[in-house]
Amino acid sequence: MTQAKIIGVGLHAWGKFPQKSWLEMGAEATHAALHDAGIAWTDVEAVVCGSMQWAGSTGMRAGNTLASVLGETGIPITNVNNACATGGSVLRAAKLMITSGAYDVVLAVGMDKSPKGFLPSVPSLAEDPIPSIDMIRWQIGMPNPAYWALEMRKRMLRYGSTAEHLANVKVKNSRHGALNPYARYRKQFTLEEVLNSPMVCDPLRLLEICATSDGAAAVVVASASYAKRVGSGAVNLAACSLASGTFGDPTLRIPMVSTTSDAAATAPILSESKRAAEMAYAEAGISPNEIDLVELPDNSSWHELQYLETMGFCAEGEAERLLEQGDTMIGGRLPVCPSGGFSSFGEATMAQGLLQVVESTWQLRGVAGARQVRGARTAMTEVYGAQGNNSACILTV
Amino acid sequence: MSTQFVLNGAVSGATDGPRLVGTTCTSCGTWSFPRTFTCINPKCTDKHVEDAALARVGRLASWTTVHVAPPPPFVAANPFVPFVIVEVEFPEGLQIIGPLATGDDSSLEVGALMETVLDTYYTTAEGNVVMGWKFRSIGSESK
Repeated sequence: MTQAKIIGVGLHAWGKFPQKSWLEMGAEATHAALHDAGIAWTDVEAVVCGSMQWAGSTGMRAGNTLASVLGETGIPITNVNNACATGGSVLRAAKLMITSGAYDVVLAVGMDKSPKGFLPSVPSLAEDPIPSIDMIRWQIGMPNPAYWALEMRKRMLRYGSTAEHLANVKVKNSRHGALNPYARYRKQFTLEEVLNSPMVCDPLRLLEICATSDGAAAVVVASASYAKRVGSGAVNLAACSLASGTFGDPTLRIPMVSTTSDAAATAPILSESKRAAEMAYAEAGISPNEIDLVELPDNSSWHELQYLETMGFCAEGEAERLLEQGDTMIGGRLPVCPSGGFSSFGEATMAQGLLQVVESTWQLRGVAGARQVRGARTAMTEVYGAQGNNSACILTV
Repeated sequence: MSTQFVLNGAVSGATDGPRLVGTTCTSCGTWSFPRTFTCINPKCTDKHVEDAALARVGRLASWTTVHVAPPPPFVAANPFVPFVIVEVEFPEGLQIIGPLATGDDSSLEVGALMETVLDTYYTTAEGNVVMGWKFRSIGSESK
């Protein structure tokens, strides 16, 4: 089985671009990645592309729509939707195409335009006797942050986490975002500013919940032999896992209205995320304390705290202590979201997992500028999607 | 003008008060909510399921107050007032979310007994009343 290498990465800026189509954004990110790899579009042997949720039928088949403007070459195109875990999912599919020996060079790409406000439901147009559970949770009044708020309250009850802990996650990520010219939000927030931001779903405040953005990212994955032919700057894609939820997990997942009770739980909270992380460590032959930086899915301050534990960076109930000790700042023991995270970019669901990989690639190449994690040789990313999908990647040099 | 339900068959009108109706598997004992056509335990091979009512009262596991009106299909009160969602743990091994029937979160305590009620969620433009399950705190002691 051949190794997989990342030979090129590219981004379109994250933000709001009402005058620019998602297609043009995706094409730009693709051209940037191809240029970075030193190859042409006609060299690409397969495409795996995020299948967009809110952009109609041509968005669902975004890979084909993209190929129609880059120029159709007849190559296999796979459109994938795993909600916010799509970025990792497309990369994993691309990696497997390489390591199986089926192809030498594959493009993984995602592009998105987010609707305003709370990420909405997509109504079912199919005639089905069972109403979509998504419609039920909206009628109850459960936007996505309400799910995270319920889990965060449990942390507060169990471990004594405070409003200040939640706010300090934002303070820390905003310091990182201020160093990142690609970040949408670059203002450094004070603790007071975050604590004074409007409450959205108690205990989560506006500045403790990531925004939604337009964005696009592309990664070119190649076999080791192909990577050698085209040049330097290749980074090892040592692991890229994908896992789904396990029965008995007490996490209340979007868009459900019920789950296993804590008392009856037979699987851990965020079971798919723990499993994806463990699979990635096993695949790469690396343990958590060898990771030099991590881009985790900080949709909210709750996520950052919980994921530190779920990914194995500290024991249960200890995440707040890591934050307090400054361990998770650039320069600390385990820099978390040196890019500034979802907190500084906002989320573009189809592309977010690839954004994490692009940042990790730059960090390992030593080109991350003011936010460079010194001596970084091992980077990890993890991205989660609604209904319990999770993908974790480990990159090494 | 008629009465509709946010989910048909989700709430029973038992003589001692409304109960949520889910699915129980008589082979392995797994419960699920809302009702479904099979047993959701992957290790259960003999899946014999039937509709069954959950306990009338559960315990409060978590809660949040929603301060920003969600978009449709949520029907916001006008003017909008923040409302509370509670997560209630049932002895059947489930925890289930629903609106808090009345009031704010000031008197809520983890572990509080929460009873199931059937209440109005909203009224449609045509004047139809849409009802569904909610939960009401009945304190820490059994009555």
